[in-house]
Amino acid sequence: MKIETVFIDEALPKTYEIDYLISKVKSDPQKIKSIKTVYDFINECDDPISKAKQTLYITENKGAVIRECPGTSFYTCCDYTILHTGTFCNMDCSYCILQAYFHPPVLQYFAGLNTIAQSLKKIFNQQKLFRIGTGEYTDSLIWEKISLLPKFLVETFAKQNNCVLELKTKTINIESLLPIDHNGKTILSWSLNTPGIINSQERGTASLRARLDAAKRAEEKGFRLAFHFDPLIIYPGCENQYKKVIKLIFQHVRKESIVWISIGSFRFMPKLKQIIENRFKNSTICYGEFILGLDNKMRYFKPLRIKLYKEIISCIKEYAPDLFVYFCMEDEEVWKKCMGFFPNEEGELGHLLDRSAAKLCGLNPNLL
Amino acid sequence: MSDTLCEINIRDIDLKDKRYKISFSDDDITFLAHTIKKAGLTILPVVRPVNNKFIIISGFTTIRALIHNNETKVIVCETKKGITDYQCLLKSILSLSIQRPLTHYELIICTRRLNQFIDKEQIAKKSGAIFNTELNARFVEDLLTIGALPESALKLINDSYLSIKSARRLTGFDKETIQSFLSFFSIIRASNNKQLEIILYVMEICARDDIKPTDFFNTKSLKDILYDKDKDSVLKTKEIRTWLYEKRFPTIFQTQQATLKKITSLKFGNQIKFIPPQNFESQQYTISFMAKSFKEFNKKAKMLTDESNTSMLKEIFNQ
Repeated sequence: MKIETVFIDEALPKTYEIDYLISKVKSDPQKIKSIKTVYDFINECDDPISKAKQTLYITENKGAVIRECPGTSFYTCCDYTILHTGTFCNMDCSYCILQAYFHPPVLQYFAGLNTIAQSLKKIFNQQKLFRIGTGEYTDSLIWEKISLLPKFLVETFAKQNNCVLELKTKTINIESLLPIDHNGKTILSWSLNTPGIINSQERGTASLRARLDAAKRAEEKGFRLAFHFDPLIIYPGCENQYKKVIKLIFQHVRKESIVWISIGSFRFMPKLKQIIENRFKNSTICYGEFILGLDNKMRYFKPLRIKLYKEIISCIKEYAPDLFVYFCMEDEEVWKKCMGFFPNEEGELGHLLDRSAAKLCGLNPNLL
Repeated sequence: MSDTLCEINIRDIDLKDKRYKISFSDDDITFLAHTIKKAGLTILPVVRPVNNKFIIISGFTTIRALIHNNETKVIVCETKKGITDYQCLLKSILSLSIQRPLTHYELIICTRRLNQFIDKEQIAKKSGAIFNTELNARFVEDLLTIGALPESALKLINDSYLSIKSARRLTGFDKETIQSFLSFFSIIRASNNKQLEIILYVMEICARDDIKPTDFFNTKSLKDILYDKDKDSVLKTKEIRTWLYEKRFPTIFQTQQATLKKITSLKFGNQIKFIPPQNFESQQYTISFMAKSFKEFNKKAKMLTDESNTSMLKEIFNQ
């Protein structure tokens, strides 16, 4: 969705970063004292979520710039580190949890490259490996067309060797990143789904082919890649559709360029269902066989998840037997039945991912 | 000028004019007629003079009881000549609401009529004085929305076949779908929660399978249950809920049934409770028994041990 209204925190100093952003969004920002003005502007609409996608608030991050991924108990988390550079997204996926996560959601850009650089410096100086991503609360690359941030991050990460940056996206906004000497420390990753799901549930995102073409271009420039099958949506014939997507991946890029592939099935806070029903009238994704999971989110009935996972994993392994595939938020039974093992120890999954990152991205192996 | 007390001939009342009638219960009036005969009238009917006749504003049942008693005259409160329709409506509602809380059906009828004169905010604002209870604007809006449903829906509400919450859900559907649900709910007998569950499952199945609810209600296996003359409405409801659950959650249903079958085949009887994990999401089964003595404990422990040597218990855990 096109950004139509821009608000800016009046306390923000005038910088080249902000001038650049404003020149790209092509809208005069309204200076405001408090985010409450943005909340009121968004909430007065019939569909605040859509309005929020067209309303940009430029501000600074008033909380932690770097934080741990909020994994839930009962299900195994990958121990990701989040670089908090913004919130929400101007694409419009029916299943997006951010619709229900923020009250109301606000498309925020956190200005302050210096602040980010300082926070990262502390991480870079630690004797530990980190996998850091900006795609938890926003799409990493929706900002590429309007801000200097993605380019800045790729350049910054290129200068160290204990952290890898993962930029996760459904866009094809990689143009400004391609010429950068990234030193292998940036993984460009795409969230993938079947063309049917992309067309019906992911408004405003790039097509599957376009995403894979972009991955191919990134690979040609030496970028490491990752793919995320999350959320998998179960529908009649989905197994074959997902297998076709997997086939397409390996037709586009070499398996050696892929650092990892993650898999996770559609899960949602119960209150998201009503949002989807109201905003996506033709969507039927909530009408699968869901149960209330141990983390109080709705999840597909476990035997159905396992069945689909097995198909997808065996298909990936046919093309790339050694490629690291992992589950996002699954439990011991699912891991064992689908993968044949379970990263039992706390942090074990994270360690396995670190190993893959170290191997493919040239991180310091002594820190493993 | 206030209403005046007067005696009028019952034959001068236009009994067909029921524009102010709110309560439509067809209760037996024998007892009321008997009470009136013994004790006389304690609450007088209110009538309005219209075209040399009187129309009843309140006291429809009282007049019926008097006719039952073969009375020819009645003492009434006659409204002043210049009274407006709105004022008459208020009188008709208040005369009932000061006696007892209005039913949902009556509230729907009343708000619908009031809405011809005042909007929902005003109805809510004046509700305390009209209904003898406060109604918020949102509830009034719900009542008005439900009031726009076909009359058969209101009849089902009045007869307690359709809850007000279920009726509210139906208002979001197209006419054909509403009609299908109304026909359906006129046959079964379910509580509010069960009605809402039925509506939810039907609509989700139809959305998922891309079929029209009207076609769904024509499914043979559903109709077989619905029109089975040997089953009462409560049993029909139970069977239909199971049938709908199976349609809505086929894999979950099959897994539950298969596990139940396996658990039943264990030789625990009522002695040992064996409960699978909720929704089969965790892996923890609950096994429990009670023992009053060491002997009983040993007996049940042995039952468990014996069963653990059979393949069925393993099968349940490994499924």
